[in-house]
Amino acid sequence: MRLLRVFLLVLPLLVVTAAKTGAHHAFSPVYDAKRTITVDGVVTQFRFVNPHTMMLMEVKNKDGKVETWNVEFAGRLNLEEAGWNAQTIKPGEHVKVTGNPAWQSSQRMAFVKLVRADGTELEPGRAQRLSAIEEERRQRAQQRTQPAK
Amino acid sequence: MRLTTVLLAVFAVACSQAPPPPPAARVPSKLEGMWSDPPATAVGTFCFFSCTDAGIERLNALLDEPANDKRPFPQLQAEAAKYQTDNYLRPRMTEAALKTYPLDPADDPGFLRCEPWGLSKQMFAPHQLEIRRVSDDQIDLRYGEWEAVRTVYLDGRVAPAGLPSRLGHSVGRFEGDTLVVETSRVAAGITWWDSQHSDQLRVVERFARSDDGDTLMLTATIEDPWSLREPVVAKKIWRWAPDQKITPYDACEPATEFKKGTSEP
Repeated sequence: MRLLRVFLLVLPLLVVTAAKTGAHHAFSPVYDAKRTITVDGVVTQFRFVNPHTMMLMEVKNKDGKVETWNVEFAGRLNLEEAGWNAQTIKPGEHVKVTGNPAWQSSQRMAFVKLVRADGTELEPGRAQRLSAIEEERRQRAQQRTQPAK
Repeated sequence: MRLTTVLLAVFAVACSQAPPPPPAARVPSKLEGMWSDPPATAVGTFCFFSCTDAGIERLNALLDEPANDKRPFPQLQAEAAKYQTDNYLRPRMTEAALKTYPLDPADDPGFLRCEPWGLSKQMFAPHQLEIRRVSDDQIDLRYGEWEAVRTVYLDGRVAPAGLPSRLGHSVGRFEGDTLVVETSRVAAGITWWDSQHSDQLRVVERFARSDDGDTLMLTATIEDPWSLREPVVAKKIWRWAPDQKITPYDACEPATEFKKGTSEP
């Protein structure tokens, strides 16, 4: 068994709107959008499917026992828009994943962010969309302050 | 005489090999092809699923207010959505529909049993929409979400007898470059704003491409005497996306672990 390092961190009341998993069903019955957690482990499976992409990873808990975590992403239909594919995350990769915890299951989360072993980050396409909107807002504010010709 | 015979023979052969004439009734459509998620703009994102003019106006007012410049966009988006619900959607709903509104998201058949959406949600489905001219009399609307396919008949045929169906019966026509689709005989279901509707639902959709060709705008007028006092006019935007494709939708699993009584934040 590969040696796993456990890292579990609970961050309350952050990223309230950042974890919608796509359109197939409502988010709120399954996940708590007001909390995020982070786990550190090794990917065992990445299923790039619809309506939701799923990832399994092995995480060592605080007692040293290995647990299987289930991470739910938006669907392939959605992620391909952001340039993801079936090889975006590979089995065997050591990753740190942040997500919204499930209400009813202690080892399940909705994806918010992933950090690879080399420090590079993977975020959903929504992050790119939000940064384009912030640029639009900056330009809008700038036009507002310019005197009318 | 001999020359005339030869010429007639050549003409006959030419006629027999000529390709069939193009169908006279075919109307070229600027709408055909693949569309997908809206442009990464504030309004495009607000209308990612569906929106109304009331909601768009409220969002623009919030964005134009200098005091909101430091507030995160998702907060403004949520505020505009709440305004849209309270000031546009709720006042149009009947007492009967308000009794169960908003429906518990945990009761959604798509969530509980992987049942595909009915028309009132499917027509606003996020992600891919392919508009394909199948024949002179038929256009298919193919959606990424649920891999749903709606058939739009252009010959005005009447709906087949029998029970209403999930996506109803759609007939269409072109008004200039705008495709107008009228749908009826839809089974009772759930609207995009999570309210119940009856099988008396009728929808008129107008699909129009922007002048620059980059976006497709849907304006849908939704009527249902059981759930609505007056029509709801909803909008949606797609972006031209010829490289997108519709991928298999075959891994839906019915929900087993969930909490009731929640609503979208």
